[in-house]
Amino acid sequence: MRTTLDPFQAIADPSRREILMLLTKDKQTINGLAGNFDMSRPAVSKHVKVLYDAGLIIINNQGRERYCELSPDGFNSVKEWLSYFDKFWRNKLQNLENLLNQHKNEKN
Amino acid sequence: MQRDLVIKWHFPHPAEKVWECLTTPALISQWLMKNDFKPVVGHKFNFHTKPIPKMGFDGIVYCEVTEVVPGKKLVYTWKGGSAPDNLSLDTILTWTLTPQEDGTELLLEHKGFKGFKNYITSIFMGSGWRKHIPRRMAQVLNEMK
Repeated sequence: MRTTLDPFQAIADPSRREILMLLTKDKQTINGLAGNFDMSRPAVSKHVKVLYDAGLIIINNQGRERYCELSPDGFNSVKEWLSYFDKFWRNKLQNLENLLNQHKNEKN
Repeated sequence: MQRDLVIKWHFPHPAEKVWECLTTPALISQWLMKNDFKPVVGHKFNFHTKPIPKMGFDGIVYCEVTEVVPGKKLVYTWKGGSAPDNLSLDTILTWTLTPQEDGTELLLEHKGFKGFKNYITSIFMGSGWRKHIPRRMAQVLNEMK
């Protein structure tokens, strides 16, 4: 099962930000990405997995190669906070109104 | 992207009743979340709710009271994240009560979300990558304004 990670945690690492930067140019294979770093291919692969788990990139298999691509949807999760809280607060304020009504009725 | 959340709500109840519900821990927990709130500037407290792993939220809101004007205004910080040392959500909550003839108007302002956008944009715009950003990505970043 695919685990989910905090995207902010994912981009907190400089190497992973570098990978995202490289992917803003074009999709790339893990080998292609590894060519830009001093670290080993497995290390790059590990970072790629973190970005994938955070929903920031997608991985497509094409033939024998695995291509990494940016996933704008992943970045959208940042925006979810606002709409989340809008619903959250409206829901809570309704609770508050109900609570006030209830107290009033009890006293009457 | 909208940066602040502002909600107005009318209650057909006197301001002191609404204030009581905003500042009494037992009442707050009935309509909002379990908490250890005190209406004292500098008081640190938490709200407890269900974690939302998808959004990197561990279910605890970390707060500190920054302003109390009895019966009128209450301000506290509202921070959350995947762990106490990784609070990616750093916002401020302001409650303002205005008495009206037929009750109370409550203004709820939840602010500080813009930090998110700045964080991500600075990463992408920071080092001359701008011209390379594909249209789709630029679109996403624009929407986050």
